[in-house]
Amino acid sequence: MTERAPCGRAAKRFPPGGLDARRASRATLIILLAPALLLYAAFMLYPVLRTFWNSVHTIKPNNVPAFVGLDNFRELLGHDWVFWKAVGNTAIFAIVATIADVLGGLLLALALFSGAPFVRFLRVVWFTPVLMSYVVVGIIWVWIYDYDWGLANVILRAIGLGSLEQSWLGDPHTALWSVMATHIWKWLGFNMIIFLAALYALPADVLGAAELDNCGWFAKLIHIIIPMLRPTILNLTVLSFVGKMMIFDLVWIMTGGGPLWSTETVSTYVYKRAFDWNTFDLGYPSAIAVLWFLIILAFIFGLTQIMRQRDRLEF
Amino acid sequence: MITRKLAAALLVATGLGWAAVPKAQAEDVTINVWTHEADEDAKVAFRELAAKNLEAAHPDVHVKITWYEKNPLLAALKTALPAGQGPDVLYVEPDWTEYVEAGYLAPLDDLIDWNNIEPWARAVWVVNGKTYGVPQEAYTNEIYYNKDLLKKLGVELPANAQFTQSQFLDLVKKAKAAGITPIAQGVGDRPFPGAYILGEALLRKLGKDDYRKLWTGSLSFEDPRVVDVFKWTKELVDAGAYPKNFMTLKLGESHYYFYTKPGALMLPMGSWYTGRAFVPEDKGGQPKDFPLGVMQYPAMDGGACNQCKTSAVGASFAINSASKHKDIAAEFINAMSTPEMGKRWIETVYLQTGIKADVKSFSGPYAAYFTELMERQKGADYFIGGPRDLTRGECKDSFAQVMNSAFPGGLLSVDQAIKMMNTACFKG
Repeated sequence: MTERAPCGRAAKRFPPGGLDARRASRATLIILLAPALLLYAAFMLYPVLRTFWNSVHTIKPNNVPAFVGLDNFRELLGHDWVFWKAVGNTAIFAIVATIADVLGGLLLALALFSGAPFVRFLRVVWFTPVLMSYVVVGIIWVWIYDYDWGLANVILRAIGLGSLEQSWLGDPHTALWSVMATHIWKWLGFNMIIFLAALYALPADVLGAAELDNCGWFAKLIHIIIPMLRPTILNLTVLSFVGKMMIFDLVWIMTGGGPLWSTETVSTYVYKRAFDWNTFDLGYPSAIAVLWFLIILAFIFGLTQIMRQRDRLEF
Repeated sequence: MITRKLAAALLVATGLGWAAVPKAQAEDVTINVWTHEADEDAKVAFRELAAKNLEAAHPDVHVKITWYEKNPLLAALKTALPAGQGPDVLYVEPDWTEYVEAGYLAPLDDLIDWNNIEPWARAVWVVNGKTYGVPQEAYTNEIYYNKDLLKKLGVELPANAQFTQSQFLDLVKKAKAAGITPIAQGVGDRPFPGAYILGEALLRKLGKDDYRKLWTGSLSFEDPRVVDVFKWTKELVDAGAYPKNFMTLKLGESHYYFYTKPGALMLPMGSWYTGRAFVPEDKGGQPKDFPLGVMQYPAMDGGACNQCKTSAVGASFAINSASKHKDIAAEFINAMSTPEMGKRWIETVYLQTGIKADVKSFSGPYAAYFTELMERQKGADYFIGGPRDLTRGECKDSFAQVMNSAFPGGLLSVDQAIKMMNTACFKG
């Protein structure tokens, strides 16, 4: 009796159903939800709605907004070649880096899962870049890519491949790929950890049964492990793809969108038009943001539809 | 019951406390200042001294200076000002024209003591008959060079300190042949230094009027004189004038490259070069015994104005039109703009200024430099403002991408560069 007393007291203070959200009064729910809803409305909903509103206006001098309908979108779609260049760069970045990120992360995770030597050390080394800020990563890699004293060219010269030395970030042909390589280096470890967790969560009896059936390592990978990792692969693919469609920080730090707009992404272009174009008019940059938001939304919707057929997404 | 009594006591105490606040304290005013150039010690000391002077003269006034790097400052201003927020006094530069157009800067004609400001510098900030900024920093575009390296190449600077365009090309080739980087320039973090040579050459070739027309869209980049200058610049580029890491070398690094490691013959730069070079060596400054010289940009063949030179106003200060303390904000700007402070600016920052300052002779460790700099101003015909002050939007972006970066970086032919600039800038 004595041991059960606290429960008894609690039962008296909180009658059955008192803490059940399904039975709480509407007023209680509103009070509890209000802080979060207010924050969401102030920092998410209002900016989004305001961006939509801005996209059909031009803010004229002295801060007077003028309704321009779809003019900003017409200009954007019909005449702005830098925007299309940025779309192309972003698409290449999102597709190539996503594939590399997911495949690379899977390979690293498999290496650790299969019991490669120095597993703990490698896990820490491969995951460390994830913990670094974009600013630090960007600065380190700008140094690595420096023509004169950068590690990339120093290594090429040291192994007799001096003819391949490049101004990696200064040449439009290599700049985007160089930034992409940096981005992949930073995020491989994240995907690796997620895959590793998924691998350790695989049912041991299925893997054991496969071994009893003399299933080889490669066959086990193709026919058992990868199909069972499918939800994780799909989740990481979508998250990675969406993240890269919005890539800004690393590009801004490493190249600022240059040379000759070869690394311009949609996000860097929005920033330039908003803050670096000698204007307070947020109409045009908002139109870019709205259009890109709708495109990303369509991609997410499409991917979700495709994946819903077999797997439930977890993001 | 106890809780209620406690609350009542707190209320009374708070009320009494409120009533007991001295009236003078309630009237204290804090002026907020947002400024760039946190990394330049001499400028920091200069502005903080002005704040202290103002606070000493007006004990009820406090000045709170917030230091920014330029890009974060721009981002902060562009979000704060449209929201009716922001500082009382803000750092501005003449090419930030949008602030005036949007009505975020207060007209200063009746607030500032203009007797202390050079009229040519004030003119930079006059828009539609009203003045919106107080110029503090002024500069000219110069070519800094290493006197010892020039001597080593067996080249003597002409008496007027100005090579012809062919002599300059030969100098670049000689330096390159001797294994010396001719021009230590980089565009890794700035949208303008790569265009110093090309821009100054265009000014001399075209003269002031046509040069202005070029940047304001009424002179085509296909003008034969413009094409000639691009061709000459391309010869410099092809001769290896710029370092291999030109595209990624940052402004601060280009200074270090020039005077320390690996060393270069020349560094075209605004005369605000001193802000980075004249600091202790362990903070990235030039070595004490560095043989620094100043030469003119080369004279162009058939140039309309070979004595022309770009002079521009840099750091300036303005007052937020939403400020509730415009008079006191103006007092702070006035405190930075006295003749004594102007003299102090020259003697500590080693840079020209828009403040009237009666400095007849120079002293201190860099006196010889400043004397040489003033020598290079003799007979100069100034064009006030640079391309970035005169261009906007697509033209300004193309200037940064093409003339500042890709063309001197060797990525574009003359025809490609001309076409891109013309498409972006020429209005027909």
